[in-house]
Amino acid sequence: MPDNTTPSADQPSTEPAIRIGGLQHSFGEGELRKQVLFDNELEVARGEIVIMTGPSGSGKTTLLTLIGTLRTVQAGSLNVLGCELRGASARRLIDLRRQIGFIFQAHNLFESLSAYQNVKMAMELVGVAPSEMKPRATEMLSRVGLEHRIHYKPAELSGGQKQRVAISRGLIHRPRLILADEPTAALDEKSGRDVVTLFQELATREQVTVLMVTHDNRILDVADRIVNMVDGRIKSNVLVKESAKICEFIKGCSVFTQLTPRTLTQVADQMVPEKVAAGSVIIRQGEPGDKFYLIRHGEVDVIVEKDGTDQTVASLGEGDFFGEAALLTGEPRNATIRAKTDASLYWLGNEVFQTVMRTSASFEEELRKSLFERQ
Amino acid sequence: MFHCPVPLAWKNLTHNRRRLAVALLGIGFAVLLMFMETGFENALYDSAVKLIDDLDADVLVVHRAHYSLLARQTFGKKRLDQIRACPGVQGAYPLYIETRRSEWQLADGPDAPPQYPGYPIRTLAYHLGDPVFRARGIEDYHAELGQPDTALADVKCKAKYHIPGELSQTAATLSGRPIRLVGRFELGTDFANEGNLVMSTENFARYFPDRALGADPLDAVDLAVVQLDEGTDVDEVLDYLNGNPDSGRPRALPDDVVAFTKEQFLETETAFWRTATPIGFIFSLGTIIGFVVGVIICYQIIFADVADHVAEFATLKAMGYRNRYFVGFVLQEALLLSLLSFLPGLAISAAFYHVLARQTGLLLVLNFQRIMLVLLLTIFMCVGSGCLAMRKVLSADPAELF
Repeated sequence: MPDNTTPSADQPSTEPAIRIGGLQHSFGEGELRKQVLFDNELEVARGEIVIMTGPSGSGKTTLLTLIGTLRTVQAGSLNVLGCELRGASARRLIDLRRQIGFIFQAHNLFESLSAYQNVKMAMELVGVAPSEMKPRATEMLSRVGLEHRIHYKPAELSGGQKQRVAISRGLIHRPRLILADEPTAALDEKSGRDVVTLFQELATREQVTVLMVTHDNRILDVADRIVNMVDGRIKSNVLVKESAKICEFIKGCSVFTQLTPRTLTQVADQMVPEKVAAGSVIIRQGEPGDKFYLIRHGEVDVIVEKDGTDQTVASLGEGDFFGEAALLTGEPRNATIRAKTDASLYWLGNEVFQTVMRTSASFEEELRKSLFERQ
Repeated sequence: MFHCPVPLAWKNLTHNRRRLAVALLGIGFAVLLMFMETGFENALYDSAVKLIDDLDADVLVVHRAHYSLLARQTFGKKRLDQIRACPGVQGAYPLYIETRRSEWQLADGPDAPPQYPGYPIRTLAYHLGDPVFRARGIEDYHAELGQPDTALADVKCKAKYHIPGELSQTAATLSGRPIRLVGRFELGTDFANEGNLVMSTENFARYFPDRALGADPLDAVDLAVVQLDEGTDVDEVLDYLNGNPDSGRPRALPDDVVAFTKEQFLETETAFWRTATPIGFIFSLGTIIGFVVGVIICYQIIFADVADHVAEFATLKAMGYRNRYFVGFVLQEALLLSLLSFLPGLAISAAFYHVLARQTGLLLVLNFQRIMLVLLLTIFMCVGSGCLAMRKVLSADPAELF
């Protein structure tokens, strides 16, 4: 049997682990047809830990089964570990499944098999060398605190221990992607923490991507991204660390100090990332303003046209923001902004910007004040 | 290190000991049922040809119209000389069989007239000294059989003949003529015959003088027992006696008789009972019922095992196990069930055969061929029911696990 554990290692790691575009899904036929997923877009990078939340029936498990190749993609595009699932052959899907670690809410262990044998079944599938099986399983079971239960059958294990065996089984074949449904629900706080720490280690050390559905508040802090689904749509998709960074930037500016942390996070959540190449014009003087920008990386030049000549009046860098004046005054852009280096930006649409303005009087006030100071 | 995959089928089967025990009992019972039905069927065929089997013959010659031992077609004595003339034939001996005129009737005393209803009994006769029987022992009685009105009685004669333990107290007549039993031999009963006597041809001629109308009763031979010289090709002899249209060899024997090898004769006799009587059908039906019972029990066991573990199987599918694995799993369970239940089934059947053979006198024989037949039926039965249960495991849907 060929070693299927790491075929994706050769692929460029810049490619996202999961890319979802226009994904829709329906259950039932004819009049009973019920759509459960609507035009979802999502991109998850390798090594990211994603927590999916949302009320039951919101479609998050359907999305999870689609990503796990357990359902057929009906409409839209779904790319998992570099493989387009729509129209993929059954053989290709099974090969892909072997690179995925599944952890279900129920442990689903064979009662007749010991913890070791249950875990071994996952190793046999991907062709782990027989001599390597025992040490690998022992190591994995030790990681979840079961070193003394290796040859116990499920009936002799507690609920939490069984779940930890199931988690070991889901991870033993070194998957590139882990799909977990409430993995910590059956565990006490410490074991739950151990398990998510294990996820984090795998994510950082081996670039394993983790997609978890959970309602366990205790483990939200491990998430790199939190995706919230409501009624079959991804309502919010927040890169937690970036969000924190943006909050920091905004807050670092004296004008935003008045904003409550809640408003800050709201602003951060609504910001859209954009990459620009060096030399490209981001906003042009004289055009109507529709976006507010924050610089995440790179530098930009502020160019003002005066008497037919362009003058670079300032240079902005990481953490600076621009474009707010036109939004506040409703006037056209008063300067051209051109990327000096390759830069990544976050922008906020006019509509959202105005909403935030209205909800926070002080925010608007502070902005006006800052504008005044800048002139 | 030798790599042995997790034996999931074995583990799952043996995990619940009580369920396994019940399963093995159930399937073992089906095995027993099949063994008994095939056993009875074969016993009836075997007993029907026991007489032929007991003859020390390489070739048998009968009348052309002789379709079975039931038939009473005889041929003339001079055919024997014609057989003896064939090269390679060491000897040809006549065997006389009388059933129709042969009636066993109890009497109150050696000289009292018979008062009880008579029962047909098969009487066999041969020239004392002719080596027609394979079994040794009969020749020990040649001196007694040489005396008038004597015969040997089959130890397996049915009770209704009331053959006394002390043979000298025999008070019975054969075809109205007093008879004296001087010893015992063993042959056995079959569908048509419930008892046997053996006597000399001289006595035979006395008891059944009108066997051949207007002729010597001994001129009506039922069967010629032919022995060949050592190393003689039996097919050569048959070709010589019957002629062979392929090689253009003419018949040495007149048209009214036909020669068979012993195996051919046994085969045609068995085939007669199988096809011309409902025996084959009845016992085949019994075997089929046993088979169906086995299929149902086996299906229940495999189905229950699969149904109890649908989530686990779905998990295996999510992990990337292919359908091939599940097909293999079910077939393994089926094979294990069939083998595990066959052995105790065989043991119990052997015990039943032994007891029944003693009780009924039926020829219940377990030979390799018959054991293999039931083993194959058992495997087929379990694998068939496995295939029925296969759908359940193949329909396990991992998408329902989340």
